[in-house]
Amino acid sequence: MENRIKIERAILNITQDELAKRIGVSRQTINSIEANRYVPSTVLALKLSGEFGKPVNDFFKLSNDD
Amino acid sequence: MNKESFIDCERNRILSVLNFRLPYYFKYIGAVLVVSFFSLILLKSQFPEHIELMRNIGRKVFVIGLLCISLARDKEEDEMTNAIRLQSYTIAFILGVIYAVIMPYVEFGVSNAVQSGGESFKDLGDFQVLSFMFLIQLGFYYTLKRNR
Repeated sequence: MENRIKIERAILNITQDELAKRIGVSRQTINSIEANRYVPSTVLALKLSGEFGKPVNDFFKLSNDD
Repeated sequence: MNKESFIDCERNRILSVLNFRLPYYFKYIGAVLVVSFFSLILLKSQFPEHIELMRNIGRKVFVIGLLCISLARDKEEDEMTNAIRLQSYTIAFILGVIYAVIMPYVEFGVSNAVQSGGESFKDLGDFQVLSFMFLIQLGFYYTLKRNR
């Protein structure tokens, strides 16, 4: 799974901590998602979608090994 | 009650058991219990007539202390910590089974290799297996959490 969370966050000009607080997770979780170490649940993906104002497909993409 | 609502009811009950966590302060209660286990070990020699009783109480206190630490919520609890906790329980269970199966043979083998006619073969006690599993679980949980 590849993602553009870092880019989307930069567009909104918010830190990992701010994004984490907005969607109710820890900063480390956001860091792990950005680094592709953790694949979030559908609920969390939809919360991110709500924050970025974009569909989930715009910032999560399946990679070849998925 | 029809079949679907019965299944829903059963699923909800199982989920509520799976999601059960103790409040955060139970980490401290668990730590106090674990420390009191070590205090009991130190005090054991002061009461030679109650050694067996103190050992039994100490072991129960130690396991309950580790259970409290294991079940206590984190300050920041989210789906990733839940996933890490699940992974750590899985690893602890698998290693615990391997430990319980292999360790008696290791103890028997080592004891007889060191001296002829060493200890007889005996299975591990519940305290040994449970404390091993809890220590593995907590070790993996905090290691995975630190490296997330």
